[in-house]
Amino acid sequence: MSGASVKNGGGNAGSARSMLRTPFVLMVGAVLTWFIAAFLVWPNLNVLISTFFPDGGFSGRASEKLFSSQRAMKSLGNSFLLALALSITVNVVGIFIVLVTHYFKIRGSRILFFGYATTFIYGGIVLAAGYKFIYGDKGIVTSLLLTVFPGMDPAWFSGFFAVLVVMTFATTTNHMLFVGNALKGVDYQTIEAARNLGASTWTILRRVVLPMLKPTLFAVTILSFLTGLGALSAPQVLGGREFQTITPMILTFANTATSRDLAALLAVILGVSTILMLAVMSRLEKRGTYYSLSKVSSALQKQQITNPAANAAVHAIAYLLFALYTLPVVLIVLYSFADGAAIQTGQISPGSLTLDNYMRVLTQPSALRPFIVSVVYSALATVIAVGGLLFVARLLQKYKNWVASVFEYLLHIPWILPSALLALGLIISYDHPNPLVGGAVLTGTTVILLIAFVTVKIPFTLRMLKASFAAVNTSMEEAAAIMGARTLYVFRRILLPLVLPAAAAIAALNFNSMLDDYDTAIFLAHPLVQPLGLVIKANTDGAEGVEGVANTFVYTVLLMVITGLTMYLVYGRSGKRRSGAGSGTTGKRRGTVPPAPSPTAEARIAEVADSRAPAQAPVS
Amino acid sequence: MRKLQTLAAAAVVVTLLAGCGGGAATPAASGGSSSAPGGGTGETLVIYTNSNGEGRGEWLTAKAAEAGFKIEVVGAGGADATNKLIAEKNNPIADVAFGLNTMYFAQIKAAGALEPYEPAWAADVDTALGDTGSDKAYWPLVKQAILLGYNSDKITKEAAPKDWTDLWTKDEFKGRYERVTGLGTATAQLVFAGLLTRYKDDSGDLGISDEGWKQVEQYFQNGSPAVAKTDLFARIASGEVDMGQMPSSIIAEREKSFKVNVETVTPSVGVPLAVEQVALVKGTDKKEQAQKFIDWFGSADVQGAWAQQFNSMPVNKDAAAKAKPEVVEFFAGLKQQDIDWDFVQKNMGAWVEKIELEYMT
Amino acid sequence: MIRLDNIEVSFGDFVAIPHLDLHVKPGEFFTLLGPSGCGKTTALRTLAGFIEPTRGAVHVDGKNVTRLPSDKRQVGMVFQNYALFPSMSVWENIAFGLRVRKEKSADSDRLVRDIARRVELSDEQLHKNVAELSGGQQQRVAVARALVLRPKILLLDEPLSNLDAKLRHQLRQELKDLQSDFGITTVYVTHDQDEALAMSDRVAVFNKGVVEQVGTPQAIYDEAATEFVCNFIGDSSPLTAEFISELNRLSGANLRPDAKSYLRVEKASLTAPLNGGAAVGLAGTVVSRTYHGLHSRYVVRSHGADVRLLVKEDGGAHPEPGTQTTIYVQPGHVLQYHPETGVALAGKHQAVALP
Repeated sequence: MSGASVKNGGGNAGSARSMLRTPFVLMVGAVLTWFIAAFLVWPNLNVLISTFFPDGGFSGRASEKLFSSQRAMKSLGNSFLLALALSITVNVVGIFIVLVTHYFKIRGSRILFFGYATTFIYGGIVLAAGYKFIYGDKGIVTSLLLTVFPGMDPAWFSGFFAVLVVMTFATTTNHMLFVGNALKGVDYQTIEAARNLGASTWTILRRVVLPMLKPTLFAVTILSFLTGLGALSAPQVLGGREFQTITPMILTFANTATSRDLAALLAVILGVSTILMLAVMSRLEKRGTYYSLSKVSSALQKQQITNPAANAAVHAIAYLLFALYTLPVVLIVLYSFADGAAIQTGQISPGSLTLDNYMRVLTQPSALRPFIVSVVYSALATVIAVGGLLFVARLLQKYKNWVASVFEYLLHIPWILPSALLALGLIISYDHPNPLVGGAVLTGTTVILLIAFVTVKIPFTLRMLKASFAAVNTSMEEAAAIMGARTLYVFRRILLPLVLPAAAAIAALNFNSMLDDYDTAIFLAHPLVQPLGLVIKANTDGAEGVEGVANTFVYTVLLMVITGLTMYLVYGRSGKRRSGAGSGTTGKRRGTVPPAPSPTAEARIAEVADSRAPAQAPVS
Repeated sequence: MRKLQTLAAAAVVVTLLAGCGGGAATPAASGGSSSAPGGGTGETLVIYTNSNGEGRGEWLTAKAAEAGFKIEVVGAGGADATNKLIAEKNNPIADVAFGLNTMYFAQIKAAGALEPYEPAWAADVDTALGDTGSDKAYWPLVKQAILLGYNSDKITKEAAPKDWTDLWTKDEFKGRYERVTGLGTATAQLVFAGLLTRYKDDSGDLGISDEGWKQVEQYFQNGSPAVAKTDLFARIASGEVDMGQMPSSIIAEREKSFKVNVETVTPSVGVPLAVEQVALVKGTDKKEQAQKFIDWFGSADVQGAWAQQFNSMPVNKDAAAKAKPEVVEFFAGLKQQDIDWDFVQKNMGAWVEKIELEYMT
Repeated sequence: MIRLDNIEVSFGDFVAIPHLDLHVKPGEFFTLLGPSGCGKTTALRTLAGFIEPTRGAVHVDGKNVTRLPSDKRQVGMVFQNYALFPSMSVWENIAFGLRVRKEKSADSDRLVRDIARRVELSDEQLHKNVAELSGGQQQRVAVARALVLRPKILLLDEPLSNLDAKLRHQLRQELKDLQSDFGITTVYVTHDQDEALAMSDRVAVFNKGVVEQVGTPQAIYDEAATEFVCNFIGDSSPLTAEFISELNRLSGANLRPDAKSYLRVEKASLTAPLNGGAAVGLAGTVVSRTYHGLHSRYVVRSHGADVRLLVKEDGGAHPEPGTQTTIYVQPGHVLQYHPETGVALAGKHQAVALP
């Protein structure tokens, strides 16, 4: 009985009926059903009903207003334009940096890697500001250029072009993570085979290597598209009058009770686009996934670029990009030591750097407390989301029937609404005793923020975990089942260790992205247990003084330290293990190396509406 | 159910760890089943405010502790705090709210989230500045003028604009003033309240005449859009723009930080005043304590000290004597614009929406 | 056809092949045989041009190709896992090299179809994705892809190691047939002695980067040049000094009792050979018998040695464990190796370690 699910799993999709006969499935299913009903469907339904049917009847007011507004339509168009352009440019830059760090023999590729990886640890408004310090009308590079070309427009770095450039560099994180990993999974023998057949470096790359990365490239393209769709801070800082996007409007409307229907409608438009993209992607993914044919594959060895001119050009571009990536970080760190007025006017001298900003931030009464609150909240939410979804993802990956599909789509609900609306939904649903949670009142407790954090992270976590389960060799669990292992035992001892590296990576990304959350916390945080996002907001709001901007930089640097540490713990160490295993001269390895999470979309409409620095990145 | 227990357990861990880290009061997590509103936090008063920045929150917490009040200040922007108070009305977490202006409090009161209360110092304030309804629920604390300021190093008093409308009707100011890129802030909303109420017209769209909307259109067409995370004073210092909107309390300090000199314009109709209020939250279980806190906080002594510390202009007549003389003097010479707040409050949401959709380019 | 002269390959501090000389004749099926990690794949990859030797020279068809890249050496290679391009169809896989050479597409198509027919891939299979093919079909695609460019040499790197036993046997034959059809010089790497013996014209046995012996399958089997080759190939029983002394006493042979001595399992017998010959009988006790249908395997203890032997199940006598019996052995079948160097002794076979 307990082995039934395993036997079903051999490749044929389990039917809904057989699924319901397994106790393990029933147990997970019961918990899941309750969770979805209580925290995904009910609160969000509540908030949507209260916005779209304020007086019990539906009104087409919102769509009328929106579609007749030139600005709304133009902003919406800009958001989609940015999304499309970004899908192309991020791939160009992303593939290039992945090849330079993982595929070609480039001098100093390790240093280059760290430069390109800076987008792992910061993003949002500070990143955009960093670029402005360099290329803006008073920026360092602009001043330099002006001495060479006195006639040029000092405001050259603005509008669509500037937004696209900044967001392109800011969102290559996904390429570094996922394409880089997928590249490691390419069987080196195929490259040797192609070389043996006379293919040039370029042909091998174009005809052999890139096609094998296609599923991953496709998935990160979707991520780029969605990041562009939700762009917020880069257009605000650099877009100027000509290039504004829709997200700021959503945020304004979400905060005005009478216009909340507009916010909800816009969010739903973006959310539906997200889901549509996902559906298209899932279809293409099914068609275009290439599983490695071999059971034994060789680890990738770096390729020498044989043409000396091409080699020199690639080196030059690689280091130019390195400079583009690292300059803003260096400046942000530098500026975190300068005073607020100096930062804002762009006037900075080496003598004016002091530790005052850090003293001010860190000597506040209980300065440490919000850091600890945020770390604990993020860690708990991450553990619950990843831990719980491990079971769910496993079942969804194994049972492909209509029940599973319904669950899967329901679990994507948090992608549709911005987190402010998700939070409002939780409040209006649980500010009174509710039978769904055993008659408890959740508002005013520390639990409700945790619930919100967990919910928001569900879609991304689920997609990534499902992908990693898909790549696990089914024969292994069959082998265990034949030896009489029970479902849970197989899960714990066989499957879990295989997906754990991927799960750890997902957990790290989740953890980082929740550290400085504001949109959810502002509505749900317990007054006595306030997370970092609220404190940062209080200390950095432009309207609240010049110190605010300096504090922004200090908090960004502090967050960089925390997120950098997290990434190191997850990637730095496992990276060492990996390279250790792959350094053998014969390079043989098992073909069942746990997968790089071949990602699917981390759309995060919810987070892209976040104006502060979402730790893991996109200049959203 | 097991999941709920896990969550509850997790919550306890959160609270415990957080408590350890901060060394501050460790509240017992109300684990999910407690029906006590306010999160069962004992006698700690939870105060919502948008006026906690630049050390105000810490200052208040310390002063309150001296006076025997244990308080926890929760900061949030004006709109956020308003939404939060309304969303939580069935099970309030806050006991007291202050700092929000008349417009916000009117919304909160309309949603039924405030408890009428007459503080001990009611007689010392001008009730016209507070709740003008019958059950007075919010009471004025601090006056704030929403001003048009200009770079006086660059523009003489004679050459300066005389009113907001000059900015887009006179060529020399076109492109030289900063215009907002969003109407989320209270200051921006008050600027428009001051502008639009001049064109009140019951037959017009949203109660405003076409002429009024044309002004709004002109404002956006001819202004230099604000830049995210770049303060207006920074832009003035760098010469990008020469003028823009500013609340009175920040001027002195920013002039110093950015080394610029700013003068303000007083239109003939007067300037809009934002009046920060204080109110008792409906449904608090620490009502008595909260009322005592309001009585203490609004008193002449505390308001006077607050004014000294943060350059504010207290509404409390006795406190005004303790405020900084230059501030008092400034307000004494200031003509207040007569604004129908009822009308503004009813329409502001729709105005913001219309402006965002149609005029902001 | 192929000459490896004085080749040394090292990776950093690790010397994979200290010294290697090999000569492969035209049209020959030449096998590099050895256990995992013995350097045979390294030797093949050096030949293919994927590894540049630290010393020595590689000649193909009289031309020094040591510094030439892989694709300029006119060698085709079939990889251990076939290294088919998963993103391409069968046709595209085979045509890859032709398209890289910018052959006209009509020519390419003709050549692809031609080679596909010869390796027995149907037109329908040509348009399938490689993932849809069975292991055997994938192998044929890999061979076709290598052969379509008409290389002078075909290199095969353990192409059968990932297949099940039955398929392995079948494909072994197919590969051998293909090779003789095309008449192409082939270098084959395997760790499977059965494969090596059955397919090769000549075999080089590798151990720790060194070639222990080169010879025909029969030569390396019957006249294993070193103790390692003797143990690695076939099945034999170690003999004791006491056993050798007794054998010398009975037969008058001049075997050295102090040498390491082995006897192939099929060379010992429980029945006296019909023609008498040089065989002598030694007394022993049956230790065990395992029944294999076609034959039984016996272990017989005689003069301290556990001699393993095969008895055909042809209805003859088959003694049970514990019974006394006689083992018949020809002294000439005993393989003897120097106790320290492990090199073969005795005058009748030459140590042919190096050609």
